[in-house]
Amino acid sequence: MLGAAIVTVTGNREAFIENYKGILEYTTESIVLQGKNTKICFEGSSLSIDYYTNEDMKISGKIDALRYL
Amino acid sequence: MLHWIQYIRGYVAVRVWGYSVERLLNLCGNHDILVWDIEDHGDYHTMRMSIAGFFALKPLLKKTGTRAAVLHRYGLPFFVSKMQKRKLFVAGLFLCILFWSLASRCIWDIRIEGNYALTEDVLMEYLQEQGVHTAMKKSDLQIEALEQALRKDYDLITWTSLQLQGTTLLVRIKENEMPVYDDPKGESAVRGMDLVAERDGVVTYIITRSGVPLVSCGDSVKAGDVLVSGAIPVYNEDTTVRRYQYVEADADILLRYTEQVSLEASVAYQEKCYTGEKLDIPVLGAGSKEITLRLFGIPYDLYDTSEEKKQVKLLDHLYLPLFYGQKTVQEYELAAKAHTDEEMKTLLQEEWRKNISTLLEKGVQITEKNVTIKKNDEKWVLYANMQLEESAVKLLPTATEPVEEPEEETQSDQTRAVILKGGAWERLQSV
Repeated sequence: MLGAAIVTVTGNREAFIENYKGILEYTTESIVLQGKNTKICFEGSSLSIDYYTNEDMKISGKIDALRYL
Repeated sequence: MLHWIQYIRGYVAVRVWGYSVERLLNLCGNHDILVWDIEDHGDYHTMRMSIAGFFALKPLLKKTGTRAAVLHRYGLPFFVSKMQKRKLFVAGLFLCILFWSLASRCIWDIRIEGNYALTEDVLMEYLQEQGVHTAMKKSDLQIEALEQALRKDYDLITWTSLQLQGTTLLVRIKENEMPVYDDPKGESAVRGMDLVAERDGVVTYIITRSGVPLVSCGDSVKAGDVLVSGAIPVYNEDTTVRRYQYVEADADILLRYTEQVSLEASVAYQEKCYTGEKLDIPVLGAGSKEITLRLFGIPYDLYDTSEEKKQVKLLDHLYLPLFYGQKTVQEYELAAKAHTDEEMKTLLQEEWRKNISTLLEKGVQITEKNVTIKKNDEKWVLYANMQLEESAVKLLPTATEPVEEPEEETQSDQTRAVILKGGAWERLQSV
C-alpha cells in the first residue's frame, strides 16, 4: 500500500518506524506518530528516540502497547 | 564506524525546552537535520545533533517557540580549537610520538643466549665489527647474512638464530659440543711440518712419533735448527731420493740450557703513611668530560685518589655516556725506612719463588740451580745459575722441497725390465 507506515517491533524493547509523516507527542510514557491515514501510538515506560530523520526513526524503551488511533 | 564519523565531524548535546518539542522534531526531519538520542526529562528534552544541524536549528526554534542550549560539545573540531590554546602541549605530544616512532626503528638492546665457550664480550665485539651495535637502524640489519657470517667465522658455532623482539636483538647460538679438529687435508698434511728448536741448548731426550729425527741425545742445537723433519724420504734403489712423503712431525723433545737470573731488592724504602685526612668529592661526567663538585682545590701535598663511577644505563645493555660517582682523596706522608735483614730475606725469597713458579707454569723443569746472595748496605742481589730443561720446540712448514718424481711410464718399464731379467735367469738355469 502506497504511503503506509511500516512498523517493525523487536521484542518489547525496540521499534523501528518508516514512512511516517511526523511526530505528534513525545513523553517517556507515550510516543504518538502521524501516519498517512492513521496515528500510531506507542505506550510504555522510559521511552526514548534513538534517532529521528525524515524517513525513519527508532524508539527504544519498554513498550507496553502499540495502538492505532 | 558511525561513531568515528560523528566524532570527526563533531556534534553537540542540546537541551531543548518550550512550547512544542514534537513540532521541532518534525521540522528537523523535514530540513534533513539528523537528531539522535532524544530523551524526555519532563520539562525539557535532550538530544544530539551535528554542528551544521545546530546552526540550521535557529530559524526552526523561532518558528516553534522553543529554546535550545548547548550542554556539551563532542568531536574533533572542538578538540582542535581547545588544543590551539595549548600549543606547547600539542607540540610536546607530537614530539613524543615522533621520538617513539623514530626510536622504535632502532635496536636498543642486544642479548646473546646459548654461548658457553665463546664469551659475550667476544661475540659483542664481533657484532660491533660487523656493524651491529645498539642504536643502529633495524632496517640496516641483515639477519640472514649475519647468521651465516657467525657460522662461517666461528667453527664452534653450529646453529644461529637472530631475532628482533621489539627493539631487542636476540642472538641465539648453539655451540659444537664435540671438539673441533684441524682439517687433516689442510696445509700441514700437504706440505709437512718440521719440529724446530726455539732456543739454543742440548738435546737430552728425544722420542719421535712421526717424521725423521735429525738429532740425537747429547747433540747441541741452535735456535731455528730442524730437530725432526716432516719430510720422510722414499729412496730409489741407488739410494737417491725418489720423493718425499710429508707428515706433521711429532716428537717429545727436551732441550737443556742454562740461564742466569738476578734479582735485587734495596734496603731503603719509603713508606706511605696515611694521615687519616680525606675528602669525598661527588663527580658527574658526560662522555669524556668530568665535573667535580668542589669549589676549592685539594689542600694536600701528597694524596691518593680513588674514584668510583657508575654509568647510567637503560635496559640491560644500553649504556648512556653519563656517569656519576665519588672521588675519595686521601692524604699521606712519606717516611724513609729501612728493611731489616729478616725482611730482606723474605722479600727476595718471595721474588725468587714467583720467578720459579712462572717457569714451572711454562712447563720448564729445573735440573740444577745455584743461588748466591750478595749483600751490601744499600741493596741485596740474588744471583741464580739454573740448568733448565724445556720442550722448546715449535712446528713450522717443512723446508725440504719436493723432488721431481719420475713419470709413471718409466717406472713400469723398469719393473718389466727386472721381470725380464728374472725370466732370463730362469731360462739360463734350465738350459
